[in-house]
Amino acid sequence: MEILNFRTIMLFLGLLMIITGCYCLIRTYHMLKIIIGIEIGMKAVTMFLVLAGYINGHMGLAQAYVITVIVLEVVITLVAAGVTIGLYKKYGDMDIRNLTKLKG
Amino acid sequence: MEVIIYVSLVFLLIFCVMAVMSHSILKSAVYLALASVMLGVIMYVLGAHWAAVFEISVCSGLVTVIFISAISLSKIKHDEIQKLYEHKKRSAYLPAVLIIGGVLIAAAAMAADFTLPEAAAAISEEFRETLWNTRQADILGQIIAILAGGMAVVVLFQNDEVKK
Repeated sequence: MEILNFRTIMLFLGLLMIITGCYCLIRTYHMLKIIIGIEIGMKAVTMFLVLAGYINGHMGLAQAYVITVIVLEVVITLVAAGVTIGLYKKYGDMDIRNLTKLKG
Repeated sequence: MEVIIYVSLVFLLIFCVMAVMSHSILKSAVYLALASVMLGVIMYVLGAHWAAVFEISVCSGLVTVIFISAISLSKIKHDEIQKLYEHKKRSAYLPAVLIIGGVLIAAAAMAADFTLPEAAAAISEEFRETLWNTRQADILGQIIAILAGGMAVVVLFQNDEVKK
């Protein structure tokens, strides 16, 4: 079938990856697992950017966007990991529900 | 080329699902690193060589190191993680969710007669020129984000005695 080319399958699997990342965000209270869910979603986004660059021929521009997304991904992971460790030092666990107990 | 992409896509999804379903945070981090490697392979085969190198070195390497550092700094025991945060039945629903989601997406695509266009001829644009000349605002934003992230980490890890 013509519809089953690798571009369509990439798009389809990317959407499944976003569902996976969202499922991880919904079903766990562990901060590190939540970061993993965000990472999976962002991987799907970078895959879509590369696919778009491949289809329209502007691979240089797509790579520039992908590198920007990767840098932001690392910064988000770093800060979230720092918050997680701070949370662990204060409460002894990494349950995200502990964030509601924080006072200004 | 297409065979490599198909195999890498399958492994990419498998590793992402295993990263979510695994009860060990360390194993989840390793599965995420493997998923990054698969994505890097896909990017390289499609012609995004610089993005592939970045993906493999940064996402597969640096992010995994960040996770392992966070795990080691917290010193959480393996049993406590399973007991407190993960009910086994919670993550077991993921394959079913993916199957239902996949069927719905496929049905919607078929109903709309959705097809992606063919790949256009690659426009010869030098990636370095695009990044440094055309997307200078992106570079500035990245620098600001990195500095902000670094300052946030310094503040988060500040000594409690200093805060007092």
